Amino acid sequence: MTKVRWTRRLMLGLLLGAGVAAAQPARAEVRFGALYPFSGELAVLGDESWRGLELAVEEINAAGGVRGEKVALMRGDAVDNNQAVAEARRLISVGGVKAIFGTYSSARAQVASQVAELARIPYFEMGAVSDAITERKFRYLFRTNPTARNMAERSIDMVVNAVAKGLSVEPGSLNVAIIHEDSLYGTTVGRYQSSLAKERGLKIVETMPYPANVVDMSSLILRLQAAKADVVLQTSYQNDTVLFFRQAREAGFKPRAIIGGGGGYSLRETMQAVGQDVMEGVLNVDFTQIATNPKAAPGIDKFVEAYRAKYNMEPRSGHSLGNYVGAKVFLQAINTAKSFSADDIRAAVAAVDIPDGGTAEGWGVKFGADGQNERAKMMGLQWQDGKLVTVFPPEAAISEIRLPR
Amino acid sequence: MDTFVQLVINGLMLGGLFAIISVGLTLIFGIIRLVNFAHGELLMVGMYLTWLGTTQLGLHPYVLAPPVVLALFVVGLLIQRFILQPLLDARDAHVQIFATVGLSTALINLALLVFGADLYATPSSGVRDSIALGPYRILVGQLVMFVCGIAVVAALHLFMERSYLGRAIRATAQHRAAAQLMGVDVKRIYMVTFGIGAACVGLAAVLVAPIYPASPTVGTYFVLTAFVVVVLGGMGSLHGAFIGALIIGLVDSLSGFYIAPDLKEVVIFGLFITILLLRPTGLFGLGRGSE
Repeated sequence: MTKVRWTRRLMLGLLLGAGVAAAQPARAEVRFGALYPFSGELAVLGDESWRGLELAVEEINAAGGVRGEKVALMRGDAVDNNQAVAEARRLISVGGVKAIFGTYSSARAQVASQVAELARIPYFEMGAVSDAITERKFRYLFRTNPTARNMAERSIDMVVNAVAKGLSVEPGSLNVAIIHEDSLYGTTVGRYQSSLAKERGLKIVETMPYPANVVDMSSLILRLQAAKADVVLQTSYQNDTVLFFRQAREAGFKPRAIIGGGGGYSLRETMQAVGQDVMEGVLNVDFTQIATNPKAAPGIDKFVEAYRAKYNMEPRSGHSLGNYVGAKVFLQAINTAKSFSADDIRAAVAAVDIPDGGTAEGWGVKFGADGQNERAKMMGLQWQDGKLVTVFPPEAAISEIRLPR
Repeated sequence: MDTFVQLVINGLMLGGLFAIISVGLTLIFGIIRLVNFAHGELLMVGMYLTWLGTTQLGLHPYVLAPPVVLALFVVGLLIQRFILQPLLDARDAHVQIFATVGLSTALINLALLVFGADLYATPSSGVRDSIALGPYRILVGQLVMFVCGIAVVAALHLFMERSYLGRAIRATAQHRAAAQLMGVDVKRIYMVTFGIGAACVGLAAVLVAPIYPASPTVGTYFVLTAFVVVVLGGMGSLHGAFIGALIIGLVDSLSGFYIAPDLKEVVIFGLFITILLLRPTGLFGLGRGSE
């Protein structure tokens, strides 16, 4: 793409005369891979993630590029796991990329990063949430975004510091129930929630996994009613979220707080399917959303402006923001590297130290020995008047948390 | 005790849902001897039609029953005529089954193309309100589904026993070649039967749409259970499917509460295997020699 553009410009230059061509000095170009699901069922959020990376690269190029060279992105379509591996290989061997950015999907990040690690090419993850990706302790793998564990941490944190505090009760007196869909995603979050809740002295009355393609949740809800659950933590996809809310309402089950985890809880379509009145006041934990206080997330307003200018629409989700912030962190670090060699890039990225509240995501950046950003956090959100707004932690909130009296 | 009664009510209502979805499947199986893997996708098509009718024309979902049932009847007719009939004389009868698998994949992807992966919720229009019976609750929509399930089974039974067409259909099911010799147009019978089977799914779709949102893969959530129901009741037996559906519904509801929500499938399939071991033809199956 970029190459074509250059050739075209060059030809144009030749046509207009040697003088014009000389006025555009050919700046050296460094190539990075961009590996996302651009087609298939994950394409929408894959593309949304890519936009963040694209905006970050444009901003960096406008400011002089990295190490004096212009950044060019080469796209790879990770439409499924096999394709992710093939595309990672292509980017490295054919494209000669110095690093790969990606990936949104956890399964694809898991396999593609393996290819990069073997080829000694740095892999920068900015969207996949599975903890297992960094637990392998790869040498050239870094991740800026928060993980499933951070999601569990934030939800338990909200039970203690937002719900219990807001209701003026002892956290230990609340009956907490954990329900989650039983694939890897829900099970991982659910397990962290259980162990963290125990550490914080919360009382868990039920822990119930269920299959995500469930068609009836009435017995599960009866069990929650029988256990007198005050707070329900649900980690789910969309179908099961809608089903849970509908059947809970129909059974007359109204816990004092419901805290969801990403997925189905963040989507506008879920709120519409369930009904605005039913979704009102529901809490949720997810990546930093666009509706976040700029004081706690410096640069978020500038990002939204740049996004609107380029794509002529509002960001479709927080994924673009997460990739934008991650890409900027990595590109700025590479700018300070001694060379584009994998080890120099690695050393420069490992030295990054941004304090909490130092990025447009609201969190800071400091990589652990496993390559995971130890300062990454999820945000606490709430559906208020049909909108999903940030309510926790208080410094990032744009609206006060609302709890039933 | 209260909880137990509520669980039984929920189970029976869920059984009604499974029943109405399974009737068409068992009919097609019993007559055409075809396992229709696109059954769930016909449900999906019907649900999208219902969604379109309610949101674009502002009609109550139940008002849409006649047009959706008719539309699915025609769709079924066309599927039998243009996809399955040409394969009728294929060397291996299983080719037809593969054709329905292909049709299922094609319909799911068509829906993805047209509607995207998002959920489309049909407005509930009071269908999701619950009636209180003392301390117990029943959803209006589920009660309607239950009653319709019984009505459909009874109507189909009468149709098969009393009408000329019904007798011709049964004759074809009993012995295709003999029926043909007696002057029955077998190809037409198959088309009508597939059409009726699809029309039953159309009715199910209208009733299910206000309760579950439509999505391209919504059919896959129901179809596995429908297969279990059909086999459990005795393949091809209409009232068997109804009883089978109630059993599955009750087991689903009770095991979800007393055992665990993620283990209810284990219980359902365990029971399923046990019944098949004891009665290989299912509860009301005709047994060997029905063809």
